[in-house]
Amino acid sequence: MIWEVFRQEEQGGYHTHCGNVHAPDREMARQFAAIQHGRRKATNSLWVVPKEEVAEIDADETSFGGTTDKSYRWGPTYKSDVDHAAEVIESDKEQEAAERQRSKAQGDD
Amino acid sequence: MDIDTVKERAGPREFSPADDMPLEYREAATRMIEFHANSEIMGAYLERPFIRQAPSIDRKLAFSAKVQDEIGHGQLLYRAAESLGVKTREEMLDDLANGKGKFLNCFHYPMDSWVETPMIAFFVDGAAMRRQATLRRTSWEPYAHAMDKVCFEEGFHVKHGESILAELMTGSKKEQEMTQEAFETWWPRIIQFFGPTNDKSTHHDFSAAVGLKAQSNDDLRSMFLREYIPKAERYGLEIPDEPRIRETDSGYEVVEDDLDWDEFFQIAKNDYEPGLGQIDGRKQAQDAVQWVRDSLEWENRPAGSPKPQAAD
Repeated sequence: MIWEVFRQEEQGGYHTHCGNVHAPDREMARQFAAIQHGRRKATNSLWVVPKEEVAEIDADETSFGGTTDKSYRWGPTYKSDVDHAAEVIESDKEQEAAERQRSKAQGDD
Repeated sequence: MDIDTVKERAGPREFSPADDMPLEYREAATRMIEFHANSEIMGAYLERPFIRQAPSIDRKLAFSAKVQDEIGHGQLLYRAAESLGVKTREEMLDDLANGKGKFLNCFHYPMDSWVETPMIAFFVDGAAMRRQATLRRTSWEPYAHAMDKVCFEEGFHVKHGESILAELMTGSKKEQEMTQEAFETWWPRIIQFFGPTNDKSTHHDFSAAVGLKAQSNDDLRSMFLREYIPKAERYGLEIPDEPRIRETDSGYEVVEDDLDWDEFFQIAKNDYEPGLGQIDGRKQAQDAVQWVRDSLEWENRPAGSPKPQAAD
């Protein structure tokens, strides 16, 4: 049986998917997860979830968005020659990083 | 966990639903997050009419996306508040519709004209973002997580609002005058965004001690003014003589006596007449989609429906 593993690196951070383990029950899955996914990288906690408990919707079932130009909803689209507050700059950077990641993910397909 | 342990351990993202938090903490956090969630929703409703009134298709798209974002922020925040186990989402939404839920002073005032939109989308959102950026370090982890997402999106609202302001202030003479007029009306309310001064703020000390709040009202207001006064001036807005703003070594401070605190506290109690219209409008909208919630509840009914089984 397959269990999906989500790792949280630091207290208060997000659990992000990092891989899976094969195990017959929850206890073994927890142990395997700790060994396989909690040894090399800094880890504060792991979530171990039965694969069939993960609800999935795929592209065959529904049409996902993301294909139309939505640049109007991102901060970096709006240029101005005035300095911005630190938190606005940070938001722009986060949005640009997310955009780079999206293009990279599309490039990898 | 007792309250002394909470104060001792208090730090960024320190507590989560796995921790056994004292009622005093859970109630204070619920009050704070519920207020924030209500404000997101009421702000969205205040701006909703301007999706249709926007002067171009680009502005319509952007305004529609913004309103959608704000509603989403409200939902995230209700989840974060719900995770404290004091109130359910339904209770919070019902309280908001019944006029018991509290929300931000700025969203009690009616808004009539397009030239007013940057007052919310630039100044109020700019003020909100200043505060939200500090709340990414709040001690209730689900709240901090919500702030990550909120800040990610909020930069777009501020910059879009700024782009509207720039357009108006480089537009016709009439547009510039109307924008200046709106600015004068909204300026005192925007300054009041951060709430009463530290010495009059009743909840600050406890919230700060348990790490819920990262910075005081006065500090936040000063930091906001330091950023946004020069910006307003660069777009050609004239800062009104009152409330008087003093530039100090560490930033700006406001002469508090110049602000109408009676009106502020009247609004805080949901007693402000034009604001009641905002609340009623929200109630009508909530009643109108009751059938959607009913059908969702029917889908999720416990009896007779197969409940999800744990795989082990």
